[in-house]
Amino acid sequence: MYNEVYKNSKVRKFYNQIYDWAMSLPENVVVKKKNEAENLFKKIGITFSVYNNFDSTERLIPFDMFPRIISSTEWKKIKRGVIQRALAVNAFLNDIYNSGEIIKAKLIPEDLIYKNPAYEVKMIGFKVPKKIYSPIIGSDIVRINEKTFKVLEDNCRTPSGVSYMIENREIMMRMFPELFEKLKIETVENYPNYLLDTLKSLAPRKCNKEPKVVILTPGSLNSAYYEHSFLADLMGVELVQGNDLFVDESITFMKTTRGPEKVDIIYRRIDDKFIDPITFDSSSLIGIPGLFDSYKSGNVNICSAPGSGIADDKAIYSYIPEIIKFYLGEEPILENVKTWRCCEEDAKKYVLNNLNKLVVKEVHGSGGYGLLIGSKSSKKEIEIFRKKILSNPSNYIAQPILELSSVPIFDKKKLSPRHVDLRPFCLVGANKTKLVDGGLTRVALNQGSLVVNSSQGGGVKDTWILNE
Amino acid sequence: MLSRTAENLFWSARYIERADSLARLLEVGYRISLIPNTERGYTNEWESILETSGIKNEYLKKYKTISKEKIIFFLLFDPENSSSVKNCIKTARENIRMVRTAVTLEVWNAVNSSYHELDKNLKDTKNILKELPEIIEWTKKQVNLIRGTILNTQLINDGYDFLILGTYFERADFTARIVNVKYFILLPSINYVGGDIDNFQWSLMLRSISSFRAFKWAYGGQEITYTKIIDFLILNMTCPRSLIFSIEKINHHIGRLSKLYKQTSTSQKKIGLMYKNIKNLSASKITDIGLHEFLKSFIEEINFVYKKFEQKYFFGSER
Repeated sequence: MYNEVYKNSKVRKFYNQIYDWAMSLPENVVVKKKNEAENLFKKIGITFSVYNNFDSTERLIPFDMFPRIISSTEWKKIKRGVIQRALAVNAFLNDIYNSGEIIKAKLIPEDLIYKNPAYEVKMIGFKVPKKIYSPIIGSDIVRINEKTFKVLEDNCRTPSGVSYMIENREIMMRMFPELFEKLKIETVENYPNYLLDTLKSLAPRKCNKEPKVVILTPGSLNSAYYEHSFLADLMGVELVQGNDLFVDESITFMKTTRGPEKVDIIYRRIDDKFIDPITFDSSSLIGIPGLFDSYKSGNVNICSAPGSGIADDKAIYSYIPEIIKFYLGEEPILENVKTWRCCEEDAKKYVLNNLNKLVVKEVHGSGGYGLLIGSKSSKKEIEIFRKKILSNPSNYIAQPILELSSVPIFDKKKLSPRHVDLRPFCLVGANKTKLVDGGLTRVALNQGSLVVNSSQGGGVKDTWILNE
Repeated sequence: MLSRTAENLFWSARYIERADSLARLLEVGYRISLIPNTERGYTNEWESILETSGIKNEYLKKYKTISKEKIIFFLLFDPENSSSVKNCIKTARENIRMVRTAVTLEVWNAVNSSYHELDKNLKDTKNILKELPEIIEWTKKQVNLIRGTILNTQLINDGYDFLILGTYFERADFTARIVNVKYFILLPSINYVGGDIDNFQWSLMLRSISSFRAFKWAYGGQEITYTKIIDFLILNMTCPRSLIFSIEKINHHIGRLSKLYKQTSTSQKKIGLMYKNIKNLSASKITDIGLHEFLKSFIEEINFVYKKFEQKYFFGSER
């Protein structure tokens, strides 16, 4: 296992100052600061909801004060790699909803695209503004060793967590200003401006004035509601719910106290199937009847575009290296994780014979739900998955169990290593693709655990990119 | 501003005002329970507190009998009572949370921390009767904190108007109701006018709107009479809990919205008329009309204004 702080029991160069600082904190100060951080989070209202069948309760996301540091050399590579993937994914989406060159070239099996439930037939042939389907991509990156960062998945629909990236920094700056004086840490506070620029660059065809941007949220019970309101606030745009919008003669309006006001760009944080009960799921109460018609008439843009989700399908993921080569003519800068597609006979055989050594994932699963970590599961659990795979092989992929790198957390009295991942947020606009120098580090707080999702015992850390 | 945002701001302020009113009502109840009284008279007071707060039926459905502890719990914490102090603060917070971006961080902090503290208070409360004064004090303090933060930190724009309107629609309604429930103690026909019982009842009424001392100041320490009380609670512009005060505020802020949006509305015309009429009234004229009749039509009229206001700004059409 790669430890990001120690190398042969010596502290790595760029962690030196932070390590000394952490060791110098008396125990009572650590406890005090922990409480302070928690109170700040509570006061600001950063909570997330955890769903179960009965009710949803607000919880604080656990925050650990020991920062995760990435050197500028490492970061440069990650940044280039993430941008490369984001561009390739958008080119791919544009292709499969139009001429389908990559399928004609036989690089991806036809069925995997056209029979994929995430493929949206209603989008075929539609010219998406500026050919950008997925303007915000959050790639989940893990570190395996000194040299290697691998991408676990590219979240192309509505990746969340960016508010934690910004708020974690705010809280660290408030609690430990001295650290920011000592070290040169890249700022992340420009993210909302970048996001607004990106969205504004994607105005629909029939918009000929300063475009009006809104964020569409499912409502305050949604687990990421805090983030929706946070982004709206920092961008200075309205946070709307479905019933705030209506469509009249294919034009989308929002209801205001002055009367109806035209809307041009919707950064939606609700799923495809809920956006328009006329076109998609008719039982949706959070959608806007007629929105899809307004979209296709070129009166409004929906970001990300309906049907973008196919690009973060876990089976498609396994083709990303080919996708990068095909559209950009480049070698992938960041590696994929070796993936066995159970729809392929040989791969399925291998997977079934090695279940105890693999992670098995549902192709459309997310949030750490619906997966099997072979080495941590009982025989019974493994057998359940074996049956699942046999009955519907194309619904599963398998990957080796990765030894995620670790960074220490303040665990009661001492520092203690925990596994982490990294999610930077890449913004793809009409002319510019960029990301702030930072990202969200998620940390598995349970010792030995590899699951970093906040819904399953994960916490967050501030992530520092050093300006050397 | 989004119609829903306006609606959420309005209701959050309205619920905060309601929590305040409930705390004051409970304060009166608590006072009564400290004063020796006949068992019947005492029960009546708690009953009228339930009536004033408009939740007598809900209470009786759940508890069947009038009991001081149960009423206090019902008004303060009962999750089944949508208008309990706890639910008022919870609903206010939920409304603000939905429009987090329309209020300043300070306002959100004030509302949010009130909610979290209240939750803690509830868990720590062992003897509700003993601890009632502290809980009441706490509630009034939080409401003042929230309101002060609104006054000091919010931009004075349309969002501010909706917040203030929520406060005064609620207050007008509450004062009208509290007087209406007890209107019989303000009738001139009662022959023991000026007796001890009247004085006691009247002072309770004044206390329930936190105006006992204010009244003394306003009338130079003169003897309390029913006409003075009517004047004070309904027609005195210096009393922040009088009906005319609320009407003036509602008129002012609806007027500001009309001007800002350059649109007239039925609610604006109607509230203007109400304000003009109430300015020309006197306590003796109200007695001539009949206090009960006056209040009844006042409540109807203010409800009509609200209905029109809601249609115009929250639903998008005045139909």
